Amino acid sequence: MAVAAQQAPRSLIASGNVRTRKFADGLATLVLWAMAASIIVLLAAFIVYMIYLGGHALTWSFLTRPPAEHEAGGGIGPEIFNSFYILILTLCFTVPVAVAAGVFLQEYARPGTFRSVVQFSAESLATVPSVVMGLFGLLIFVYTFHWGYTALGGALTLTLLNLPALVRVTQEALGSVPDTLREASMGLGGTKWQTITRVVLPSAIGRLTTGIVLIAGRIYGETAALIFTAGVSVTGNHPYDLNPFHTAETLAVHVWYTHSESVVPDVDRIGNGSALVLLIMVLVFNVGARIVGRMLTKRFTGRAS
Amino acid sequence: MIESPAQTAAPIQDKIVADDVDVFYGSFQAIKSATLAMKAQHVTALIGPSGCGKSTFLRALNRMHDLTPGARVTGEVLLDGENIYGADADPVVIRHRIGMVFQRPNPFPKTIYENVVYGPRIHGENNKRKLEEIAERALRQAALWDEVKDRLSRSALDLSGGQQQRLCIARAVALDPEVILMDEPASALDPIATSKIEDLIGQLTEKFTVVIVTHSMQQAARISDYTAFFHLGEIVEVGPTNQIFTHPKEKRTEDYITGRFG
Amino acid sequence: MIAVQARRSRRVERIALVGLRVAAGFVIVAMAALLVYLALEGTKTFYVDKFPLWSFLFSPDFSPDAGHPGAAVYIAGTIAVTVFAIAVGGPFGIAVGVFLAEIAPYRMTQILKPAIEVMVGIPSVVYGWLGLTLLVPLIRTHTSSPSGFGLAGAGIVLAIMILPTVITLSEDAFRSLPGSLAEGSLALGATRWQTITRVLLPSAASGLAVALILGIARAVGETLAIQMVIGNSTQFPQGLFAPTAALTTEIVTDMPGATQGSLLQHALFSMALLLLLIAMVLIVLVRFALRKRA
Repeated sequence: MAVAAQQAPRSLIASGNVRTRKFADGLATLVLWAMAASIIVLLAAFIVYMIYLGGHALTWSFLTRPPAEHEAGGGIGPEIFNSFYILILTLCFTVPVAVAAGVFLQEYARPGTFRSVVQFSAESLATVPSVVMGLFGLLIFVYTFHWGYTALGGALTLTLLNLPALVRVTQEALGSVPDTLREASMGLGGTKWQTITRVVLPSAIGRLTTGIVLIAGRIYGETAALIFTAGVSVTGNHPYDLNPFHTAETLAVHVWYTHSESVVPDVDRIGNGSALVLLIMVLVFNVGARIVGRMLTKRFTGRAS
Repeated sequence: MIESPAQTAAPIQDKIVADDVDVFYGSFQAIKSATLAMKAQHVTALIGPSGCGKSTFLRALNRMHDLTPGARVTGEVLLDGENIYGADADPVVIRHRIGMVFQRPNPFPKTIYENVVYGPRIHGENNKRKLEEIAERALRQAALWDEVKDRLSRSALDLSGGQQQRLCIARAVALDPEVILMDEPASALDPIATSKIEDLIGQLTEKFTVVIVTHSMQQAARISDYTAFFHLGEIVEVGPTNQIFTHPKEKRTEDYITGRFG
Repeated sequence: MIAVQARRSRRVERIALVGLRVAAGFVIVAMAALLVYLALEGTKTFYVDKFPLWSFLFSPDFSPDAGHPGAAVYIAGTIAVTVFAIAVGGPFGIAVGVFLAEIAPYRMTQILKPAIEVMVGIPSVVYGWLGLTLLVPLIRTHTSSPSGFGLAGAGIVLAIMILPTVITLSEDAFRSLPGSLAEGSLALGATRWQTITRVLLPSAASGLAVALILGIARAVGETLAIQMVIGNSTQFPQGLFAPTAALTTEIVTDMPGATQGSLLQHALFSMALLLLLIAMVLIVLVRFALRKRA
């Protein structure tokens, strides 16, 4: 502890106070470290536990066969297919609209009513809970359009759900491109559109793609909105159905379905296996997003970031 | 430790002494072999062109570099003969005795009163009456009392820049330190506020030892008793302010003072 | 030659601009359609079936077959599970946010932040499934609960799910504070913990409020994860370990079986409308909190 000459002046409380404070500081630091570490431990435990429970279910037949209605031995092949199918369908709608809207908001729109209303709508849309969006999809696509439960209805509903996020990603990606690049292009006589398509977008492509892949991960795991729009069953005749107007139960929905409604005897095995496959897919998206983003940035701009 | 007026006839003590101090940021050496004795209850000014290390040196005097990852300080800094970098020395205690005022005023988003008593509070003082006494004393010492005595419970952020800086001085002074380090305290202020601060510094030396970094030679000449000239991380010359500005011994000092660079 | 090219470019630009405007306009249309359709359908309970709004909000008797869909149980369930989640996840999240912003060394942030991002990516069904297979049996064996379903399980799962939101936003709130604040406090001889509690936390208050409000918004809207662990029984939350239900879980439980146009379905749509309104109120609160910061 401090030597006599370095103690606090006598007019204030003695150095015992410093000891207490340092103890409190040390204790608090320890507690915070423990809290942070517990998160990492928890996450690792979850993943290990899921692999332990569901690992043995991951056979080729499980991954390719259709689910069984009443007997054991069903698989999740069609569900995996449907997850990808709906994902791609959704992205086909979401990406063009969201990127276009994002480009508009970030590069073209002058401050004014239209811009504020668009921005406000996007933010409001972002706050809608997924189950509410699912009901909206039910109302429009299943009832009003008389489609019944369809993959297309699910995809369109998911488009609405993810539009705000992708618009924001686009805006941020475009915003990260320095103005000097735009000035250079315009200075050489380019139009705004040429500048955007030839200079700004390629520079932003890395971040944009990362964002898209992350959102794809979210779409892949989406459940509540799809239960009411794409349905909880797969068409019996052609499990790998490409018809967007048929029901399309995805993997995520299937996980919920097996644990809530299913009557097959090997519910646990199917549920564990499905959940594990879903987790793996989402992790692949998560990790892949960054890798792809970095690769693309290097490809298009030559720089590492 | 603090000299009483009756002892002013005695030789002026060294209050805080830097002995062969080096400061490294990673592998970059920002301060080389700095040795400087700063006299008790006098103002020592540190001058030099920007980037020459004056602020870095100042921060070594109250162990602020402890907070910068990658920064390393070697050598000794002696406060009344005890090394503040010694194995037993506690930075928390040191900063009680050596206060600091920064370039930009940085009051906390709290009331004026809470800002001033923050220091005593964290060091354990809880008695309400004592705190109020400390607050008044400190604000008077910072020449701010008359302006704020009726609005102590208003937010400190409502004050003007100059007032905020005097509040920061009051905050430092409330701890009754022995040394006050000032890092270009008036550089962010207008001329009127600056001159108020300069007058204040003169008054502060009645109780405290002041070490001030300034980029303005005129300011150094106006308010300091001793001046140290820094260049490229080294102390080139030290001496009484009068002598430095009229008869500098080193050519580099003379060049800087006459405006040939900086 | 240049003039022709320039004219062509201009034409492309004009067409492109139209396309962009249409896309932006679509966002407005989508939001408007959502509001209109949900409002129309969600109020049918009141103006078609003539069920009083007051009863809907406050009557605990949910029997749509008898013409009386009182949703108070579900409203209480939503409130209860949200309060639990934010009471546990809020402080924990802010603490870890402080840790990341002020204490964690670089290596630790490199591990922790990706971990949090992975947590964000995990779908809610998987959280629900984990709750179902891990947490519920645990609660069943270690407490008085006969089934293991109930508020406790749902609250814990929800707390874990909102953690990433609260952590990242809290961390942002602390990082956006000027460094001179902490510097000033430390220069006065405060310890780091004193600096955090006495200076940083109060200064970041509005940012932390945003973190908590958005955490609450996330909790209110969460469906699947809670549905798999809460028990889905139409009774008021009685303590932590009795099965109960929330607005979102009720919708997912009963909507698949509801006939189109029935009172049950109307009531469920009314619940959806209520959820939408709650979400919008929360966002208005966030904007308010953000404005206070400026």
